[in-house]
Amino acid sequence: MKAVPMDRTKPPQTPDQPAFKLPAVHETRLPNGLEIVLVDDARFPMITARLGFHAGSKYDPKELSGLSETTGALLTEGTTRRTARQIAEDAASIGGSIGASSSPDALMLSASALAENLPRLLDLISDVARNATFPDDEVALRKQNRTQELLADRSEAAFLADEKLNQVLFGPHPYARQDPTPESLARISRLSLEEFRDARLVPNNAYLVLLGALPDLKSVTELIEANFGDWRQRDVAPAPAPGFPPAQRAVVLVDRPGSVQADIRIGRLAVTRTDPDYFPLLVGNTILGGGASSRMFTNIREKKGFAYDVHSSAAAMKDAGDFAIVTQVRNEVLEAAVRAALDEMQRICAEDVSPDELATAKNYLSGTFVIRLETQDGLASQLAAARAMGLPVKYLEEYTTSVRAVTAGQIRQVAAKYVNPEDASIIVVGDAAKIARQLETFGAVKVEKAE
Amino acid sequence: MRVILAPDNSVPVVAVYTIYGVGARAEENGRTGFAHLFEHMMFQGSQHAPKGTHFKLVESNGGSLNGSTHPDYTDYFEVLPSNKLALGLWLESDRMRALSINRENLDNQREAVKQERRLSFDNQPYATAIVDHWPMLAFRNWQNAHSLIGSFEDLNAATVEDVARFFKTHYAPNNAVLVLSGDINAAEAKSLVETYYGDIPAQPQPPAPDLTEPPQTEPRFEQYRDKLARVPAIVIGYPGPARRSADYNALVMLDLVLSGGDSSRFNQNLVKGRKSVIQYEANLGWPFASASDYKAPGDYAMYFLYNPAFTGRQIVEQVEAEIAKIQKDGVEANELERARTYLRSTRIRQLQSAHARAAMLGRYELLDGDPNHVNTEMDVFLAVTPRQIQDAARKYFAPEKRTVLDIVPASAAQAQGDGQ
Repeated sequence: MKAVPMDRTKPPQTPDQPAFKLPAVHETRLPNGLEIVLVDDARFPMITARLGFHAGSKYDPKELSGLSETTGALLTEGTTRRTARQIAEDAASIGGSIGASSSPDALMLSASALAENLPRLLDLISDVARNATFPDDEVALRKQNRTQELLADRSEAAFLADEKLNQVLFGPHPYARQDPTPESLARISRLSLEEFRDARLVPNNAYLVLLGALPDLKSVTELIEANFGDWRQRDVAPAPAPGFPPAQRAVVLVDRPGSVQADIRIGRLAVTRTDPDYFPLLVGNTILGGGASSRMFTNIREKKGFAYDVHSSAAAMKDAGDFAIVTQVRNEVLEAAVRAALDEMQRICAEDVSPDELATAKNYLSGTFVIRLETQDGLASQLAAARAMGLPVKYLEEYTTSVRAVTAGQIRQVAAKYVNPEDASIIVVGDAAKIARQLETFGAVKVEKAE
Repeated sequence: MRVILAPDNSVPVVAVYTIYGVGARAEENGRTGFAHLFEHMMFQGSQHAPKGTHFKLVESNGGSLNGSTHPDYTDYFEVLPSNKLALGLWLESDRMRALSINRENLDNQREAVKQERRLSFDNQPYATAIVDHWPMLAFRNWQNAHSLIGSFEDLNAATVEDVARFFKTHYAPNNAVLVLSGDINAAEAKSLVETYYGDIPAQPQPPAPDLTEPPQTEPRFEQYRDKLARVPAIVIGYPGPARRSADYNALVMLDLVLSGGDSSRFNQNLVKGRKSVIQYEANLGWPFASASDYKAPGDYAMYFLYNPAFTGRQIVEQVEAEIAKIQKDGVEANELERARTYLRSTRIRQLQSAHARAAMLGRYELLDGDPNHVNTEMDVFLAVTPRQIQDAARKYFAPEKRTVLDIVPASAAQAQGDGQ
């Protein structure tokens, strides 16, 4: 290769980021209330589908935690028309997969197939969404294996830390219970699964996102009507809405004997996705702990060497959200690391972020948002998530504009509301005998056994 | 330096992917974890892009980045809005030409790696068994058997001179493949690459490490008592074939029959039928590689999280019974057809992102000397016959070639006390 003279002492000048243009989206609604979002994306000979329901874990009755996810898991384990094995074989035969999962707000059925198999894909989705039979042996197996998985999950410090943070921040609200317990699983039966399905998995509580190399609109519409048109609507009860506890400092140490490090969460109740404070908090969070050039990463990992992973997150759900610092440090530096994190939280409340930090965060958020829409799965997930949050599809196109409109003043304002260290709770999972003393300086330490 | 350009202008995204032909299996005794420690050093600044610049510039231009260390290679990527291509090339070429290697950066990253070890391995159930014990059990040659993440002792022993020597030897352009994939103009991209990389000097090609394994003639077994685990797990492996051999192609298809998707035999017969297995994974080169970047020597290894009502010995028997059925009766025609369809759709899904396409092209160039396998291997896999699958099952899954690592919760180990 031959070299051309150039100035390599400075980064090259490049144009501004290209604008993002969403592919054409067709939105409609069936008479039974099912919302439809169609996106023609012929880049790949595949179809990606999401059938979402407002039926996430927050709709679980208190004594039946895990009902939503168990319902989702068993939709594909037998219907009036197919056995579990036939569902698995049919999904593989059309070059796809089908499965459901639950988040706090939504139960989401995800499926895909090679484009030529669209009719068979819609037939399969319709069958599992509408005709699940919850066979006794499948229910028993699911409960048994999920109980073992929970045991395995509970052996991980991060799981225990996230669970405790949710309990402290969300209190009586079902967001505090995002996973089942062995006891709640034991109480789940075919009857409770059928009740949940009949109450929540109905077309007027659902949205269908269909994306990929679709045939013409008329053919797609006919296929959708043939598979979902006679699905009966039904009145849906609203979500329970207990309040959230006031934000105040709690220091909880979950004892996990044998831990070689301390898993830390410092968090506080924050905002929903539709709150006007959402975008300022999102940009502020990025500056504080959103990436490898964030303050947390630069200070706590690169400068102090306390941690491998240190970041912050601003998770926004439909009824609430949380802001949290997440890191894991070696036992000896626990106190110093918590102190450093609280100091960074204090600084972003007290001082304006610099213009350079602001520009970096905005570009990072805008650019990576577009990269996430590169694949069918990425785009389908974003469209379905918008629907789950009650946001219009054009939200995707407005995302970068909303990010770019944020000012330093707004960040300081929302930081003072949601990132104030004084009322943030501190959750640590680790070996209490080795680390409890280090936490006493932050408040009265409540030591709990890992269940 | 080999350069691969893969234009696809459908989304305004470009992936800059650099893969170096050095991984953990090239480490020297006394320097375990060095390839990975070095990967960290690659983010600590270079002559014109001081510490912090790499992260900062990629993120402030709307991109993402990372690096990862593997047994046989180490790779780095930037995914950027496509009109920022020059930035990615400037950063990658500057650190290939003149990395900043100093004591402060080394000390700091040594701590970061130790912390990574505590987080990802020492404080996690199963991880220490899988990452440190499984290779020692499956391999006899130290190059293959040693810990890829390394010991604290060896990490402490690494010197600035070691880092500088490693850089000069292994991070020369002649030991690298650069792939640009996504929204690029091939001619412009080629000219940019020549501008940024053209004057970086080549170095003598480093000798390939001797990875030869003695043939396995006896079954191997170890029980690992895991202090953090609450549910038992087991790893079962058999030495695999040479990459791209006919047997390799057959094992790729056999793996799909055993473990690909919900209709696979492991799911239908073990999770469902016997209700003994809770979760499973399987692959050529598991846990560090998959068929796509597997390089012999390596095992076809299977990992099962299993119901504690069963013993490890029973899980081994059940898995061997599944394999014996294929050895005796082969695979069914419709089952193989499903596996083929599953493979096709998985591939389409995999290759949707510029980064995934770039990684596959780069790995195939490095491991096979031919990136075009991306276009041709599907036809080769789809042409595998039931007979070839049956023959491969007979040849590779012999009892004397079996290696088993039973991972038992420490609290239950005493009570159970057996495995095999």
